[in-house]
Amino acid sequence: MMKKILTISMWEYLEKVKTKAFVLSLVITPILIITVTLLPSLLLKEESPTVEIIGIIDTSGIYFNYLEEEFQKYELPNGQRNYVLINLDHVGKSYEAKKRTADLNVVRNLISGYLIIGMTNKDSLFAEYRSNLFGNFKVVARFEEALNHFQTKKILKLAGVQSTLLEKIQDRTIVQQIKISEDGKVSDLDFLTTFFLSVIFILLLMMMVVYSGQMLVRSMIEEKSSRLIEMLVSSSTPDELLTGKILGLSLLGITQILIWVLLGMTLVASSLLPITAFKNIVPMLLFFILGFLFYASLFVGIGSTVSTEQEAQHITTYLSLILMLPVVIAMPAAQNPDFIVTKIFSYIPLTIPTVMLLRLNVQNVSNLEIFVSLVIMVISIFIVTKLSAKIFRIGILSYGNKPTLKEVFRWIKE
Amino acid sequence: MLIVNNLVKRFNSTLAVDNISFTVKPGKIFGLLGPNGAGKTTTIRTILNIIKPTSGEIIFNGNPITYEYYNIIGYLPEERGLYKRSKVIDVLAYFAALKNLSRRNAINSAESWLKKLHILEYRDRKIEQLSKGNQQKVQLIAAIIHNPSLLILDEPFTGFDPINQQEVKDLILSFVSEGKTIILSTHQMELAEKLSEDILLINNGKSISSGNLSDIKKNFGGNNIRLGFSGSNTFLSQFPEIIKYDNYNNYSDIQLRDEIIPSEFLKKMIEKIEVNHFSIVEPSLNKIFIDLIKRSSD
Repeated sequence: MMKKILTISMWEYLEKVKTKAFVLSLVITPILIITVTLLPSLLLKEESPTVEIIGIIDTSGIYFNYLEEEFQKYELPNGQRNYVLINLDHVGKSYEAKKRTADLNVVRNLISGYLIIGMTNKDSLFAEYRSNLFGNFKVVARFEEALNHFQTKKILKLAGVQSTLLEKIQDRTIVQQIKISEDGKVSDLDFLTTFFLSVIFILLLMMMVVYSGQMLVRSMIEEKSSRLIEMLVSSSTPDELLTGKILGLSLLGITQILIWVLLGMTLVASSLLPITAFKNIVPMLLFFILGFLFYASLFVGIGSTVSTEQEAQHITTYLSLILMLPVVIAMPAAQNPDFIVTKIFSYIPLTIPTVMLLRLNVQNVSNLEIFVSLVIMVISIFIVTKLSAKIFRIGILSYGNKPTLKEVFRWIKE
Repeated sequence: MLIVNNLVKRFNSTLAVDNISFTVKPGKIFGLLGPNGAGKTTTIRTILNIIKPTSGEIIFNGNPITYEYYNIIGYLPEERGLYKRSKVIDVLAYFAALKNLSRRNAINSAESWLKKLHILEYRDRKIEQLSKGNQQKVQLIAAIIHNPSLLILDEPFTGFDPINQQEVKDLILSFVSEGKTIILSTHQMELAEKLSEDILLINNGKSISSGNLSDIKKNFGGNNIRLGFSGSNTFLSQFPEIIKYDNYNNYSDIQLRDEIIPSEFLKKMIEKIEVNHFSIVEPSLNKIFIDLIKRSSD
C-alpha cells in the first residue's frame, strides 16, 4: 500500500520537477512578483548610492541657482552630495544646439540626464527631464517639488504674503505609521512593506496552485486520453493513485517553497526586505502549506472529470480568481479590522489561506481566530480528499463528455 | 484458472454486461470476441477489479479476485499511449515498481525484454522519439514486465506490421507454453481463430456463443465441402443433398444437408463427374462471427 503510494508520488514528482517549465516557473515567478510589488517602492525610497550629475538648461536663467541650492540637502549615506547640477546654458549657441549636445552627453553617460526649464506663452512653467531610461521617479519627483515650491512662493509673494509666512505654508507634515499589537509590541514597519509581503505570499500561493494544478490536470488528461490510466488502475487502487498524486504534487510545492524561502533569506541578508517583515512567518507558512494541500486535493478531484486542456484552463482560471479575492478586499480590511467580509472569508475554506495571509500582516488577528481557521482548513482538506477520491474513482474512467454536476453528485453518493 | 460466473454490470439504465459466464483455462488462449460496444472492455475491467460488478463473481485460482491480485495480472489496453516525454527505461521501471518489483529486478527485466523485442538501443530515448510500432512494443513490455500469471490483451496486434505481429504472436505463445492464463480480446478473427482454443462471443452484453472453438464450428450448421471438378457445374442443381452452393473458377463450395455424410456424397459424385479436389470445409470464425451477430441482432 504505502510502497505503491510512494512509487506513484515519486514518479509524479520527478516527472514534473524535470520539466523545463517547472525550472522556469521556479525562477521567474518570484522575480516577477518582486519586480511588480517591491521594486517601485524600493526605487522611490532608497537613496541611490552614487553621485548623479544632472544638467540643467534653464532658458529663463532664474531657476538654476535655486535648484542647485535646493538639491544640496540631498545627501548620500557617506555624506557626499547626491546630485551635482551643472548649467548647460553654455554648451551651444542655439536652443536646439544645446539640446543636441546635452543629448549626446546623456548617451555617452557623461551626465545621468538633464532638465529643460522653459516658459509657455501663458507664463506657466514647462519642464522636461531627458535621460536614457524611464523610471527616474525619485529625481523627477524632487525636481517637481522644488519647482512647484518656487512657483508657489513666487505667486504668493506677488500677492503680498510675508516671506516668514511663506516658509510656514510650505512646511509639509509627514505622517508616521505605527502598528500596535495586543501584546503591546510596537512596530514601525510601514503598511506598504507588510502589505507587500502579504501580497507576495498570496501571489506565490496563487501561482503555485494555478501552475501545479494545471500541470497535474494536464498529466491526468494525458493519462486519460492515452488510456494509461487503465494500466495504472490495474496496478494500484484509485485511492493509492490519488494519494500518490497529491503527495507528489505537495513534494513539488515544497520544493518550490524551499527554493523561495532560500531566495527570501538572501533578500533579507541583502536587506532588501527587513527581517521584521517575517515576524508572522510561522502562521503564514502554515496557511500557505495547508492552502496548497487543500487546492491540490481539490484539483485531483476536479481534474479527473475533465478530458481537454480547455476545460482544465477554465477551472484553473476560476480558482485563481477566488485566490485573488483578498487583494480586492485588502484596503478595507486594512482600514477596518472589523470589516465583516474579511471575517466571513476567514471561515470559508476556499478563501481562508489567502485572506489569513493578508490579515496576519495588516490586522491583529487573535490566536483563537488563527487556531479556528487552521482547524477548519485541516478538516476541509480531509473532507475534500475523501470527496475527490470518490469523484476520482469514476472520473478517471469516464471519457468524452464532461460529467454534469448532477452526475458528479451521484458519483459521490455511490 | 479464471472463472467468471453470472457477471452483470449495469451503468444507470444501460446493461453493459448481461449475465455472462465463462472459464479460462491455464496454458490456453481464451478469445473474448464481439463487435465494438459489445461489453468486452467492461468485462475486462471487472476482471481487473477496476470497476465493481453489479452482480456475479470472478474467481481466480480458487479465490475471488481482489486488489491483492494486481501484482500477478498484466493488462494491455486497446488504446495505446505512454508518458511521451519520459525515457523508455524510466516508464518501464515505473510500471514494474507499481507491480512491486524492486528497482534492480525492474531494470533487469526491462532490459531483457527490450533485447528480446530488438529495441534495447532505445533504452534511454524518450517515448516520443520512438516509432509507433516500437512505442507499442514498449507498452507491451510494460504489461508483461512483472511476469504475470494472468495476462489480458486487448487488441494486441493493431498497429504492428506483419513482422512485428509475428513477434507478438510468438511472445504470446511463449507465455502459453509457460502455463499462463491468457485472455485475448480482438476483432481480428483470423488471429483469434489461429490462437485461441476457447472463445466467448458477446453482443450487446449478452453471450452469443461460448466454448471450444472446434465444437462451435461443428455446431455451426457446418456440413460444407469444397469440390473441384472439370466440366460444367450445372449438374449440381440436380442433387437434393445440396442446400446451396457457390461456384468459383475451378471449384464449388457446397453446403450439404446436415444428415448427409460427405464421403458418401463424394462416392455419388465420382460416378457422375471427374473429381480433382475434395475437402471438408470448416466455417471460418469470421463467418461464424458475422452470422451469429446478425442473427442475435435480428
